[in-house]
Amino acid sequence: MAEEARKAPAAPHADAGGDGRVDGASGRAGATGRAPAAGAAGTRQPVRLKKPSTWQQYKTLLGKDLTQEFRTKEMLTSMGIYALLVLVVYGATLAQSGGQVDILQMSGGLLWTLIVFTSLLGLNRSFSHEKEQGCLEGILLVPLDRSVVFLAKATSNLLFLLAVEVIAIPLFCFFFMTSVPLAESAPLALAPLVVGAVGVAGIGTLLSTITVNTRGKDVMLAVLFIPLVFPLLYACVSATTVVVVGVEGYLDAFVPAMALAAGYDVVMLLASWVLYDFVVSA
Amino acid sequence: MADRKQPRLPEAGQWPDRLVPAALGVGALLAVAGFLMAFLFAPPVNGASVNGVEVIGGQVVSNVLLLSQKIFYFHMPVAIVSFVALAFACYYSVRFLMTKNRRFDTCARIAMEVSLLFVVCTMITGDLWTRFEWGVWWTWDPRLTTYLILMLIIIAYFILRNAIDEPERRSVYAAVVSIVAFIDVPICFMVTRVIPSSIHPVVVREGGMSADMGITLAVCMVGLMLLGFALYRTRFRQVRLTERVEALKEQLEDRMSDVR
Repeated sequence: MAEEARKAPAAPHADAGGDGRVDGASGRAGATGRAPAAGAAGTRQPVRLKKPSTWQQYKTLLGKDLTQEFRTKEMLTSMGIYALLVLVVYGATLAQSGGQVDILQMSGGLLWTLIVFTSLLGLNRSFSHEKEQGCLEGILLVPLDRSVVFLAKATSNLLFLLAVEVIAIPLFCFFFMTSVPLAESAPLALAPLVVGAVGVAGIGTLLSTITVNTRGKDVMLAVLFIPLVFPLLYACVSATTVVVVGVEGYLDAFVPAMALAAGYDVVMLLASWVLYDFVVSA
Repeated sequence: MADRKQPRLPEAGQWPDRLVPAALGVGALLAVAGFLMAFLFAPPVNGASVNGVEVIGGQVVSNVLLLSQKIFYFHMPVAIVSFVALAFACYYSVRFLMTKNRRFDTCARIAMEVSLLFVVCTMITGDLWTRFEWGVWWTWDPRLTTYLILMLIIIAYFILRNAIDEPERRSVYAAVVSIVAFIDVPICFMVTRVIPSSIHPVVVREGGMSADMGITLAVCMVGLMLLGFALYRTRFRQVRLTERVEALKEQLEDRMSDVR
């Protein structure tokens, strides 16, 4: 109700699509662009401070990460180049085996190796910005639920990871898979890729928040991340491999592996979500 | 003034410490008894008492005498004790996050240390078994794999503790990691039930053991549990006393500077 009352005077200033921006502007107290509108509204009624909704906070935090990425393009370029370099290394390692090796059997594992190491690189960077520029302190000053910070950061990490997957997987197919016939079930491999990315982003966000405050943080993240993400990796690799190979009755192996991966995702995300408050406030 | 400051000191030596000598003695006795029983009392799994071919623990067993199976009476109890220690570490970590009491942090760390010791023992005994029962040093069997990563997580826990300087932050992060690490325990425990292709038999629930074997296993289990408890309490007492000495030193320095 309060929202309606506040929107009504603002409506003449904002066009129909501008509701979100007005909300966002009032949420961030010092937004300059909307200052005249807020002042005009303030002449008629006293300034009413409204706590932005959780969804609004989430959108603002996520928008901050995405804007930073669009301006610097730091994460995507470094992760993309790294993925490409890993593919080049694969080229060298597989060159001697030529067409003899069954690339289909190995493709799932190779792909997931690429994803795990690339995500490690991205996760390392994701909190070093916040730490170096003092952004995290700013966020923590805002009276918001800490799990929102986790969800926003995990979402942005997930988006970057998916973007890198979108670049890296066609390249992988282009370099290594053109000579072998793909099974009909190969498009199903999208499911483990997405489920795996969700889990990697979730647990990785928690761990990168932990390791950003430690000595030797790059190594520390790998030391914690790889064992913890292992069950997910195991399930995703087996799910990816069975659908890419596409043997008879592949669903018998695919469904349990996906169930394991999804269950692990749910448990880990819930645990990270609950524990994030302690981690980020420590 | 001394009375007021007294409760702030880390306390040590509560009543469980009095149980330690008894637990250590009985535990050592039972472990030795279990060791002897494994060789003298429990029948060889596929030895003289098995006529012809029989299925024990899901595996077809012929008449070959395999003494390597004896290590099972230690392997499984040690693994169970490591799980129990991890469960305590997780419990104390939750308690720490609830109360922010440094005592629980110490408890969790020491439970982790005990569990690391037992995990390493499990890996060694398991590896001996693997070598002589299956003929390989290592195989990526699901339970071996999950147990290996459990060990890696516990090692990572200690590396993490070493990598942080601030005590407050170190305690919180360590607690979070030990809670997350505990998620792997049920996975490791259940994996032989979920993935039936695993070479580890589901022994207890499917009744793959004779009564003699069960008794031997129980003796070993109780003995190792008591040993684990004694180790935990002894180490806890040592660490708490160290902390207490540190706190006393600090108090003394404060007192001295006050006097000056």
